Amino acid sequence: MSILEFIRNSLANLDASLTLKYVSDSLKHDISIMDIINSLADGMKLIGKKYEENEYFIADLIAAVEIFNESMNILKPKILERRETKPFGKVVIGTVEGDIHDVGKNLVKILLEANGFEVVDLGVDVSSEKFVDAVKQHKPDIVGISTLLTSTMINMRNIVEALEGEGLRNDVKIVIGGAPVTQQFAESIGADAYGENAFKAVEICKNLVKK
Amino acid sequence: MNSRERLLTALRHEEADRIPIDLGSTDVSGMNCLVYKGFRRLLGLPDKPIRPMVTSGSDPSLLTFYNMVAEVEKEVLDMLCIDVISINRTLEPTLGDRRLSKAFINNRWQVVELGFKQWYWREWDLTIEIPDYIDIVESGDRYIASLGGREHAIAPKRSFYFNSRRFSTPLKNVKSIDDIKNFNWDFYKISDMVLEDLRRRAEYLYRNTDYGLIYFRVGSIHAWPQDLRGWTQWLADLRLRKALAEAILDHVMDVVMYNTKKIIDNVGCYVQVIGLADDLGTEESPQISAQMFRDVYKHRYEEIFTYIKRYSKAYTFLHSDGAIYPLIRELINTGLDILNPIQISAKGMEAEKLKKEFGEQLTFWGGGADTQHILPFRKQEEIVEHVKKLIKIFALGGGYVYAPIHNIQPNTPPENIAAMFRTAYDYGKYPILNI
Repeated sequence: MSILEFIRNSLANLDASLTLKYVSDSLKHDISIMDIINSLADGMKLIGKKYEENEYFIADLIAAVEIFNESMNILKPKILERRETKPFGKVVIGTVEGDIHDVGKNLVKILLEANGFEVVDLGVDVSSEKFVDAVKQHKPDIVGISTLLTSTMINMRNIVEALEGEGLRNDVKIVIGGAPVTQQFAESIGADAYGENAFKAVEICKNLVKK
Repeated sequence: MNSRERLLTALRHEEADRIPIDLGSTDVSGMNCLVYKGFRRLLGLPDKPIRPMVTSGSDPSLLTFYNMVAEVEKEVLDMLCIDVISINRTLEPTLGDRRLSKAFINNRWQVVELGFKQWYWREWDLTIEIPDYIDIVESGDRYIASLGGREHAIAPKRSFYFNSRRFSTPLKNVKSIDDIKNFNWDFYKISDMVLEDLRRRAEYLYRNTDYGLIYFRVGSIHAWPQDLRGWTQWLADLRLRKALAEAILDHVMDVVMYNTKKIIDNVGCYVQVIGLADDLGTEESPQISAQMFRDVYKHRYEEIFTYIKRYSKAYTFLHSDGAIYPLIRELINTGLDILNPIQISAKGMEAEKLKKEFGEQLTFWGGGADTQHILPFRKQEEIVEHVKKLIKIFALGGGYVYAPIHNIQPNTPPENIAAMFRTAYDYGKYPILNI
């Protein structure tokens, strides 16, 4: 097995110390940063598969994100040194107005980044004006909106309408997610897609950007 | 048959005259203050300030109102034929509306008599009664609640709740087991003065009312460390830092067992139900695997539940949201009698399946209406059918206490809530007919 496969597998097995060791070793062996990041992304993909198959749970997912982040911290200085690759796409993401929960949003963000997206994180309790401003400023491919609360879910509609009002709706795809959200709700407010969980959200974003 | 007998009959898995009904006996089976204001109007009651339930949350010594779940007045309890109340109530019927609590005053924590003052939430035109030692100030687009000059919780102005989590992760940065040892765990142990006050109140309710009585939030062993460390960090701890997690859990258990013993010594003979609150689920699955549950939590729940059952007649109650089907059998084996809130919309939590597999051993307390997807959004006739269908599944043979799934959310039409409680009462009479 190559060292890149070791990276992928040790991350997928949630072995923090081994993953970090292999990442450091591969830097010493002059393996390309992009290859290392891709192995980590492959590891995250395997974790997503195990999650879908009920072998892994949210605790495992969060542990994986922690290992992934620590690995990226090792790589960061090198990434800044040679910034050669173009991002896969750009996503503006935030939790809807009135809601300050961020676990789901943060998971989606990190998985998007692992998959080569550039993510602009607007944080929590984000008003429709802030979403509109961010779309004007960053010109993303996708707007991602998250919520945990039934009571604030309805504010997602305001964001879709605000983007329509500013003539920006056709410039972006809108993906929504969160505990109370359903496919039916997504359709009813005119969003483009609904991500049932963080991994599905990333798949959806990839497909939307390809189109 | 009075309310207390009705509750006990249901908990013995026998059919009473009707299903016992709960509204607001816990801060996870109640109604948001804003929607409660509208609901009172619908019932023809005059407008008045709404008092959010004071709860201890993850911090057993500090009472807060942050969840904005209304205390239900006696007149509303009577109108809806509610059968169970909390011994922590501050409204009638209770022994005076002032209770003892710990508060941060003059730069130190002390036990004070809890009173209330009014605060107006302008965005919602809602006057609420908050604990008088808490101050709320405006700051940009947020309200900040402070306690003795320390910021303690925030609410975006157009939110419906306060959130204290970001101010309450005191173990976030601990690295070593010594750090954990040096943490002030005793702070979380219930004070004898508060206990004596609680004992008098419980005795009063036991002798002078017919309600079923509950003590909720005797502790939590998953949600509390999650608050101490941070929601995600604790989950990563369980997977990546096991020694640290075990050390935290040993201290957590020490406090929870101390409080459980004290509660039983003081009010164990008055309450019929003693409850823990732990959220073990997400919408899709448990937060942790069944194996991790067995490794980390099972023996600890067993210790708590065994103690409660050995030293009191109270039934054991656990609140856990989410898709926890893979853990339910394990929980029953630890000595759990009652599960709440039965989130039937979560994956694998179908009502029929749960009743069939666990109905003989487990009482379902909740599951009576989907407050997330249905109660706020559907027509009254649909609510009636929804409630009838769920009653038919859950009620057979007792072992059922009617409550919606978790708290009734803002933006829920009061008419829907009335339809729900009316149906629970009308169709909850045993024998349940083919409806």
